[in-house]
Amino acid sequence: MDLQGCLNRTTFQSLKLTSTPSSSSSPFLFPSLYKTKTPTIHSPKFPFPRLTKPLPTSSASVVQTSPATTNISSEQGGKPQWKATIDFKWIKDNKETVAANIKNRNSDADLELILNLYDKLFILQKEVERVRGERNVVANKMKGKLEPSERQILIEQGKNLKEGLIALEEDLVKLNDELQREAQCIPNLTHPDVPIGGEDSSTIRKMVGSVPKFSFPVKDHLQLGKELDLFDFDAAAEVSGSKFYYLKNEAVLLEMALLNWTLSEVMKRGFIPLTTPEIVRSSIVEKCGFQPRAKNTQVYSINDSDQCLIGTAEIPVGGLHMDSILAGSILPLKYVAFSHCFRTEAGAAGTATRGLYRVHQFSKIEMFIFCRPEESDYYHDELIKIEEDMFSSLGLHFKTLDMASEDLGAPAYRKFDVEAWMPGLERFGEISSASNCTDYQSRRLGIRYRPSEALVPGPKKSKGNLAPPQFVHTLNATACAVPRMIICLLENYQQEDGSVLIPEPLRPFMGGLNVITRKS
Amino acid sequence: MNAGKNLKEGLIALEEDLVKLNDELQREAQCIPNLTHPDVPIGGEDSSTIRKMVGSVPKFSFPVKDHLQLGKELDLFDFDAAAEVSGSKFYYLKNEAVLLEMALLNWTLSEVMKRGFIPLTTPEIVRSSIVEKCGFQPRAKNTQVYSINDSDQCLIGTAEIPVGGLHMDSILAGSILPLKYVAFSHCFRTEAGAAGTATRGLYRVHQFSKIEMFIFCRPEESDYYHDELIKIEEDMFSSLGLHFKTLDMASEDLGAPAYRKFDVEAWMPGLERFGEISSASNCTDYQSRRLGIRYRPSEALVPGPKKSKGNLAPPQFVHTLNATACAVPRMIICLLENYQQEDGSVLIPEPLRPFMGGLNVITRKS
Repeated sequence: MDLQGCLNRTTFQSLKLTSTPSSSSSPFLFPSLYKTKTPTIHSPKFPFPRLTKPLPTSSASVVQTSPATTNISSEQGGKPQWKATIDFKWIKDNKETVAANIKNRNSDADLELILNLYDKLFILQKEVERVRGERNVVANKMKGKLEPSERQILIEQGKNLKEGLIALEEDLVKLNDELQREAQCIPNLTHPDVPIGGEDSSTIRKMVGSVPKFSFPVKDHLQLGKELDLFDFDAAAEVSGSKFYYLKNEAVLLEMALLNWTLSEVMKRGFIPLTTPEIVRSSIVEKCGFQPRAKNTQVYSINDSDQCLIGTAEIPVGGLHMDSILAGSILPLKYVAFSHCFRTEAGAAGTATRGLYRVHQFSKIEMFIFCRPEESDYYHDELIKIEEDMFSSLGLHFKTLDMASEDLGAPAYRKFDVEAWMPGLERFGEISSASNCTDYQSRRLGIRYRPSEALVPGPKKSKGNLAPPQFVHTLNATACAVPRMIICLLENYQQEDGSVLIPEPLRPFMGGLNVITRKS
Repeated sequence: MNAGKNLKEGLIALEEDLVKLNDELQREAQCIPNLTHPDVPIGGEDSSTIRKMVGSVPKFSFPVKDHLQLGKELDLFDFDAAAEVSGSKFYYLKNEAVLLEMALLNWTLSEVMKRGFIPLTTPEIVRSSIVEKCGFQPRAKNTQVYSINDSDQCLIGTAEIPVGGLHMDSILAGSILPLKYVAFSHCFRTEAGAAGTATRGLYRVHQFSKIEMFIFCRPEESDYYHDELIKIEEDMFSSLGLHFKTLDMASEDLGAPAYRKFDVEAWMPGLERFGEISSASNCTDYQSRRLGIRYRPSEALVPGPKKSKGNLAPPQFVHTLNATACAVPRMIICLLENYQQEDGSVLIPEPLRPFMGGLNVITRKS
C-alpha cells in the first residue's frame, strides 16, 4: 500500500456527519518499520520549574569506595538511597572550574565542604589501612610459639585494634555517605556557549515566522474552547480539582491527530516507538535529576508506597536501560515515547496558569537518545532541528532559546527551549524543551556502553580485548506537549466567524476535517 | 422559662440523636446493592449463562505460543526493565506493539463515534468521593484503587468514574437524552489480592489504555441501550475476527452498582481458555442517586420567559450504563495469540491495517 496514497484518506468522520457512516479509513500513517533503521537491541518539553537544590553530578572516572546501594533514607542526613558514580578526583583537580560552574548555575552545592570531606576521607582511609596493618602484624605474631603471658598481651592488643577498627570503619561509612550526599548536589557542567546569567540572558538561536495580524478581535483558547464546546474545566474542578479538564468533540480528534502525526514524523527519523509506565519508583525519579520529596515538589506520590507518578516520559525511558552496559554498536539508541504526564504545579500561580497552559495531567510525546559522549552535541542539534521542523510545518511562529546558566536545572549541560506565539496570551509561551544531560543521568542510572567489540571475535572474549565501559550521554526533547499545542493551534488558526482551521499536516489524521466550527 | 430551657436542652439532645441515626441509616442503606434484572441467572460464576457465541476455537497446525513468548521473539514488550523501574505488572510496549495500541485506540474511537457517541478525554486523578459514588471502594482493604499521598485524590481504574462525574449534581434537559460518550483514558488498578497464572504478562497489569462507552438515559430506555452497547462490542470483536462468548453474569457476580452485566470473554490460544475482554453494565439509578444526576422529563407546555414550576414535571434520576469498547492489553493478547503464524510472525486483522500505516504483519527484526 502506497504510503503517500494513504495520506489522503480519512478516518474519523467529521462530527457533523455522525449519522452517515464515512467511507473507509485510513489514515494514520505510521511508516512501515522496515523503512526505518531499527537496531537490534536488547537491552535501553516541557519545562520543569527550577530545582531549588540541584542534585549532583560529575564527570570522568570512578573513584568511589562503595558500590551503589539501594537503601531507604530521608532526604538529608540519612544514608543515600542510591549512589551516583562521581569522579571526586576530577572535581578536586578542577575545583576552580567546578566552583565557577556552581556559581553560574546559582546552585546550593557546597564545594568547600565536599573537598574537605574528600580530604578527610583520604586521611581516614589511610588510618584504617594502618590499623588493619597493625592488626595483621599482631595476628601473625600470634601464629608462633608464645608464652601464655605474651599471648595474653597480644590478644588484648588484637582486641583493642579490632574495636578501634570497627569504630574507624563506621566513621568511614558515615563520611562516605555524607560526601556522596553533598557531591550529588553538584550540578552538571555547562556547555561553553551557554550564556551566563538569569532568564534574561538566554539568547535566541532561531526565529521562525512572525506575529500573525488579525483583522478582528482575537480570542484566547478558553473562550474559543467554550464557544466550540471543546473543553470542560468546570466539571473537572468538581470531579478532580482545579487545573484538570475534559477534552470533548474535535479537541479529542485534535489530540489524537497531534499524537499520531508526531509519532509518525519522529519514527520516520529512526526513533523506536515506546509506551511507558506512568507509575515509577521514586529512586528512578531522583536519578533523573528531579526531587520527589522536596517541598513544593512537582511530583505526585502514591500513598503507602515508594512510587510516584511521572512528570515526563524522560524518567521511565531513562530507567529502561538502568544498571546496564550497552553494546557500542547499538548507539545511538533513539526512542520516541508516548505517555500521560502528571505534575502538581505546586507553587505556580497567576494568569500564566489559565486554561490549558498549566495543568496537572497531559499527553506528551518525548524523544530520548542514549549516545556516545563525543556525539551528544551533534544529537542535541538533531533533536532541536526535528522540533523546529515539526513546529514550522504546523505554521507556528516561534523562537528557539539557548537557556542561560541559571535556568538549566541540575541535569542539563545545555538546554534549548522553544517558545511559540500565543495570540490569546499576547506573548510567547513555552511549547518544548530539549536538554543534553551528558553523563549526569547515566552516572545515577548506571548506564554504560562498551566502546568497541573484541578485536578477536570468538567464543571466548577475554577482558583484555575489550575497552572498559564508559558512561553514555543522554538527551531528551519534547516532540509534542498536547495542551500547549492545542492552545497554539486554536489561537493562531481562529477565524473571524469563530471557527478554527486545522493546519494541513494534521488534516489526514483528523478524518479529513478541515475546520472546527460551532455545533448547531 | 425553666420549662422552655428544659425543652430546649431536650430538643438539642434529640436533634443530635436524629443526626446520628440519619447518618447510620444512610451508611447502612448505601450498602444495599442495586436491584437485579428479572432475567439475570441467580447464583455464582457457574450460573452465568451464554447469550451469544461467535466463531469457534481456531485450530493451529503448529505449537501455539502465548503472547509473552511472541512478544519476546518479536521485541514487542519489556516487562523486566519495567519491574526494575516500577515494579511487577508494569510494562513498556515497543515497536509494532505501540502501533497496535494506537491502531486499536484510533479504530475503536472511530467505530464508536460513527454510532453517535461524543468523544472525550478525562482526568485520571479524581476525588475519592467520586470513586465511591460510582460504587467502588477506595478505602477498602485490598482496594483496587491507588490513592495519592497527602490528598483526597485517587487514580481512576476506569473512565466510567470521571464520565459519571461529568454531570454530577446536575439536572439535564430531557431533550438531550440519551447522552452518549466514548472516553479514552489510561486506567490504574492495584490488583491487590490477584495472584496466580491468570496474571502473567499483559493479562493483569497495573496500568493500561481503555476506551469506554457511557450512556446517560431515561429509565425506561436503559434495557434498550444495554442491548445497544453489547451489540456495538460484539460487532467490533467480530470484525476483528475473534472467537468469543457473551455472558449474562449471575447475581453473585454483579458487584453493587449493576442491575445487569454482560461480559465478553474471548478465546486466548496461549492461555488455552477464554479471557474477559469487556464488560457492559446497566447501573440503572444506582450511580445517579449518588452522583445526583437527574433530568427533566419534558419541557414547559407554555414556552415563555416565566416557566412556572407547575408546568414542568419534577426531575427524575437518569439511568447510567457503561461498557468497555477496547481494553488494549487484553486485545493485544487476543490479536497476538490468535493471529500468530507458523514462522513466528503475527498477521494484523484487516480493519486495523489502515490504522497501522498499511502494515499487514509483524515479523521478527533482522
